[in-house]
Amino acid sequence: MTGTIGQHELSQMFQSAAARIRERHAVLSELDSASGDGDHGATMLRIADQLGDGAVRPGESAEPKAILHDAGWRILSVDGGASSSLYGTFFLGMADAPECARPLDCPAMAAAFEAGLAGLSKQTKARPGDKTLMDALVPAIASLRAAADTGKSVGEAMHDAAEAARAGAESTIALTARFGRAKFLGEKTRGHQDPGALSMALLFEGFSIALTNKKETQ
Amino acid sequence: MPMKKFINRPENIVPELLEGLALAFPDKVRLTGSNLIVRAVPKTKDKVALVTLGGSGHEPGLSGFVGEGMVDVSVAGEIFAAPGAPRVLEAIKLVHGDAGVLLVVLNHAGDLLCANITMEMAQREGLNVKMILVHEDISSGSKNNPEERRGLVGILPVYKVAGAAAEQGSSLQRCLQIAERMERNVRTLAVAVNTATHPSTGHAIFELGDDEMEIGMGQHGEAGMGRMKLKSADDTVDIMLPMLLEDLEVKEGEELLVVINGAGATTLMELLILLRRVSQILKAKGIKLARGKVGEFITTQEQAGVQLMIARLDAEFIDLWDAPCDTPAIVVR
Repeated sequence: MTGTIGQHELSQMFQSAAARIRERHAVLSELDSASGDGDHGATMLRIADQLGDGAVRPGESAEPKAILHDAGWRILSVDGGASSSLYGTFFLGMADAPECARPLDCPAMAAAFEAGLAGLSKQTKARPGDKTLMDALVPAIASLRAAADTGKSVGEAMHDAAEAARAGAESTIALTARFGRAKFLGEKTRGHQDPGALSMALLFEGFSIALTNKKETQ
Repeated sequence: MPMKKFINRPENIVPELLEGLALAFPDKVRLTGSNLIVRAVPKTKDKVALVTLGGSGHEPGLSGFVGEGMVDVSVAGEIFAAPGAPRVLEAIKLVHGDAGVLLVVLNHAGDLLCANITMEMAQREGLNVKMILVHEDISSGSKNNPEERRGLVGILPVYKVAGAAAEQGSSLQRCLQIAERMERNVRTLAVAVNTATHPSTGHAIFELGDDEMEIGMGQHGEAGMGRMKLKSADDTVDIMLPMLLEDLEVKEGEELLVVINGAGATTLMELLILLRRVSQILKAKGIKLARGKVGEFITTQEQAGVQLMIARLDAEFIDLWDAPCDTPAIVVR
C-alpha cells in the first residue's frame, strides 16, 4: 500500500490498466458488435499500447503532471474515433490540475481525477444515464472523493472507485443509448452493457490492482 | 464464412490504401507525414487551405477529394473511426498560409470530438482556423434538431464550392460563409438494401432481411427511419425525393444539384435508373435539375444502397460548382 502516487505508482497503474484492457478486449468488441461496428476492443488495444508505453519515461521528472500529459497526448494521437479523443482529453484534463505538480495524496488524487472529468465534460454532453463511459467514470470519481473525505488511503480509495465503476458499467445494461453511433439504434441497445463504460471500468480495475497489489475478481 | 476481401493485415489497411491512392493519382495527390494525403502541387500560401478528417473505409471519400480546386489535405483515420486530433493539427500546420485554414468536418461523434479538440489546440497556437460542420442527413434528426443530423455525401458540394472560392483567392471569412450557405441548402437521405463487412473485424455491420430495405440508414449501419419491403427504383425515389424536397422547402422554379452516391455495391446502371426518376419528379413539380452527378463518392465497403442528395443552387453556387477541379474522385475542366 502506498501513501502517495508519484511516477512509479502512475507507471504501475498505467501498465496494469493496459494489461486489464488487453485481457478483455475481445469482450469489448463483442459488446460493440451489438450497438456499434465491433471495433471497440481493437481501439482500446491501441489506447492500451499508448497508455503502457507512456508510463515509462526514464530519466525524466517524477511529477505526475508530465506523465499524465504525455499519456493524454499519446492516446489523443491514436486514430480511435471518439474513444481516443475522450480518454486523451481525460488524462490531459488530469494533467492540468495544479495538484499534479507533486506526488498525489488521496485528496489530491481525487482532485486530479475531478479535473480530468471536468476536461471531459467540456468535450461531450454525455452524462450518467446516457449509456456511455460516463456511467462508469462519474460514480468512480465520486467514490474517490468520498474515500478521500473520510481519510482512506489511495489504495482503498481506488479499490472503492473500481467497485463503483464496475457497478456503473453494469447499470448500463438497462439503459438506452443516447450518444455516439449507438444512439441511432435506440431501444435496441437495451440489454447490452455499454462497451465504453466497460472499458472505463477496466481502467479503474487496473489502477486498483496496481495500487493494492491484489488481483480483483472479474 | 471468411471475409472475401483483398486485404493484408487489418492494421495495415489504411496506410496501404493511402499508398495505393498516391500511386494511382501521382499527378494529383501525395502521401506525406503521418498518413496525410496532400495535393501533388500545393496551393500558394496566400490562399485559404481546406483540411478535412474522417474515418477510412469510405473510399474514395475523403482523401479522394484532395486536389486542385477542392481539399488541400485529408487526415484519414482508422476504418470507420476518426483520426487523432494531433494529426489534424499537423495537417493544419502543413498547409497553413497567410490566409488561414477551413476545417471541413462531417457530423459524426468521433469526427466532431476530434475536430473540437483540434480547434482548441489550433487556437492555443494562434493559428487562423475556422470550422464548418456538415450535417444534412434528414433521417437522423428533425429539422428543429439539426445537431442530431449526420453528415453524408453533402460534404461533396461543400468541399466543391468552398474549395473553388479558396482557389479564386477568397478570404477565410468568405470561404466559411459560402460553405455555411451551401451546408444550409443541402439535404441527403440514404437507403440500404444489403449490408457490408467491416474490413478489420470481418463482421457484417448490420443485418437486413433478404427482401428488405431500410431508408435513412447511416454510413456505418446506423439505424434509419424504418425497414420496409424492397421496392423498385421508381417507388424508392417516389418515397425519398419528396421527403428531401419538403425538408429543404424547395419551391417551383428553383434549381437543384442532385447527387446519387452509390454505397459500394450498387451499380452505375441502378444509379442512372434512379436519376431518371428524380428528373421526372422534378420536371412534374417545375423544379429544374440544373446539375446532376452519379457515382461512388462516399462508400461503405460492399454495402448496397444509395445516398440521394439535393442542393439548392443559385448563380454563385453554379459558378463555383462549375469551376475547375482536379481530384481522384472528381474532375471538372
